[in-house]
Amino acid sequence: MSEIVLRADELAKTFHLGFFRKRVEAVKQATFDVRRGEVFGYLGPNGSGKTTTLKMLMGLVFPSHGRAEVLGRPVPSREAKRRLGYLPESPYFYEYLTPEEFLDLVGALCDVPRATRKERAARLITRVGLDHARGRPLRKFSKGMLQRIGIAQALMGDPELVVLDEPMTGLDPIGRKEIRDLMLELKREGRTVLYSTHILPDVEMTCDRVAMIFAGRIRNVGPLSDLLTARLLSTEVSFRHDIGTIPSLPDGAHVRETPDGMLVDLPEGADVDAFLKAALAADASVVSVTPRRESLEDLFVREAGAQKGAA
Amino acid sequence: MNRIRAIAWNTFREAVRNKILYSLLFFAVLIIVSALAIGNLTLHEEVRTIRDVGLFGIDLFGVIIAIFVGVNLLYKELDLKTVYTILPKPLRRWEFVLGKWLGMLLTLAVQMVVMAVVLAVVLAFEDAHFDVAMAKAVWLLFVNVMLVTSVAVFFSSFSSPFLSGFFALGCFVVGRSVPDIRALGEKMGPTAKAVLNLACSLIPNLHLFYPSGAIIGAEETSVHRQFVGADYLLSATAYGVAYSLVVLVLAMLIFRKRDFV
Repeated sequence: MSEIVLRADELAKTFHLGFFRKRVEAVKQATFDVRRGEVFGYLGPNGSGKTTTLKMLMGLVFPSHGRAEVLGRPVPSREAKRRLGYLPESPYFYEYLTPEEFLDLVGALCDVPRATRKERAARLITRVGLDHARGRPLRKFSKGMLQRIGIAQALMGDPELVVLDEPMTGLDPIGRKEIRDLMLELKREGRTVLYSTHILPDVEMTCDRVAMIFAGRIRNVGPLSDLLTARLLSTEVSFRHDIGTIPSLPDGAHVRETPDGMLVDLPEGADVDAFLKAALAADASVVSVTPRRESLEDLFVREAGAQKGAA
Repeated sequence: MNRIRAIAWNTFREAVRNKILYSLLFFAVLIIVSALAIGNLTLHEEVRTIRDVGLFGIDLFGVIIAIFVGVNLLYKELDLKTVYTILPKPLRRWEFVLGKWLGMLLTLAVQMVVMAVVLAVVLAFEDAHFDVAMAKAVWLLFVNVMLVTSVAVFFSSFSSPFLSGFFALGCFVVGRSVPDIRALGEKMGPTAKAVLNLACSLIPNLHLFYPSGAIIGAEETSVHRQFVGADYLLSATAYGVAYSLVVLVLAMLIFRKRDFV
């Protein structure tokens, strides 16, 4: 098993809000670890405790219970912080600074020598595609540009672990793809990436392992292939509507109209071969046959439902 | 040290790029320059008037800027969420507070120097000098402003800018009146006197930094005649620095324990 880069051990946070100090348990005993060289997804719906967990790992919020370590150093020690880079959710930076000035400031805070700072800042600005905005103050940056300079500042200290809080939120499809590609690039460089999100297709494309958090409680931790069941949920058969007739449907099958024809959803256990034979015998035009296995979205919805039921 | 310097320099740079501070500085300069016109209305007291009005302008705007920037110093970082990017860096929280405070002091020092230079130019119009007494008076005003800033930063470490500004302004007004409050206590009963004396011990004695016109050692001090000596300057500065450091350490301790939700 690869080396553990980050370990969260029963991390919990309870806030006391308002005049009557109402107890709100934001995170309940979160335990997981992140291993060297992997992309680790921290998934959960809005308000589930993802950001609070990451803030505890970054030393912005003090845990009510539990502890965390980065490469064996307790969080939030300076030694631990020196080895990680962090991009907060919807980041705000000093808007009066240019990218070069901002990265120089961050470099100084990460103890990067002055001579290295300038060269590294220039390289990172190029890497995140902001060469054209080098001399522009950050107040004139779009959301996507801010996200990119945010990633650059997270890398300024040359960290082993990069933690990104909702890095895809608010980005257009091109921006999302750029961030995904960048995360995979970081992985290829041997860095470890931990990021929180609720955008599931991105997770399927990037993550080696995930942890899911619902209402402050972690439900699943592991590789996606282990968490998703391999069984067939249903088979979708699509037909062109102007050719032939669709045979009688087996029990539990559903039909819906699509712009090009019909889509038949055959349930688990249905005799797909027999149905297709009957369709071809009736001169129906079969366009596609798609077996549907459990997706991350199915798992996510299932777990969210189970959590609601338990509450 | 590099990290503290980086935060301080960034704080200074933020102030330099802040238009509101330029507006305040403009009004301060306007008051100092207007001393020339006011001086011309007096009979043979032009230089005296320019010195008094000029020092008043430096004092007033120094304190306004100190309170305005001081109460926003930490709050703005939280409100704009820039603290979420900065504190996860290998930086201790006390280093952050100290860096912000030092940057603020640098800003105030530059502003005081600008105001003093303008005052010197205005005095030169009347063939008068910005002499040692004036330099000492401006130095004391700077220590005063440092102390007010520290108090403002202390309040802003746990309350909103409005409340922090209100408390800091209250401290300034009461702190300037410490001798009057002590004198009032002398005329009251023992309990009231003890309470007032206790309050005067806790609240910074800002009267120390505006000694012109006060009786020190049986002699009246004045920037126009006999001003304070080096020993007074040294002890007042030591008092200002010590008081500032105490409230700053308290601000650091409060900031150290905060959750940034």
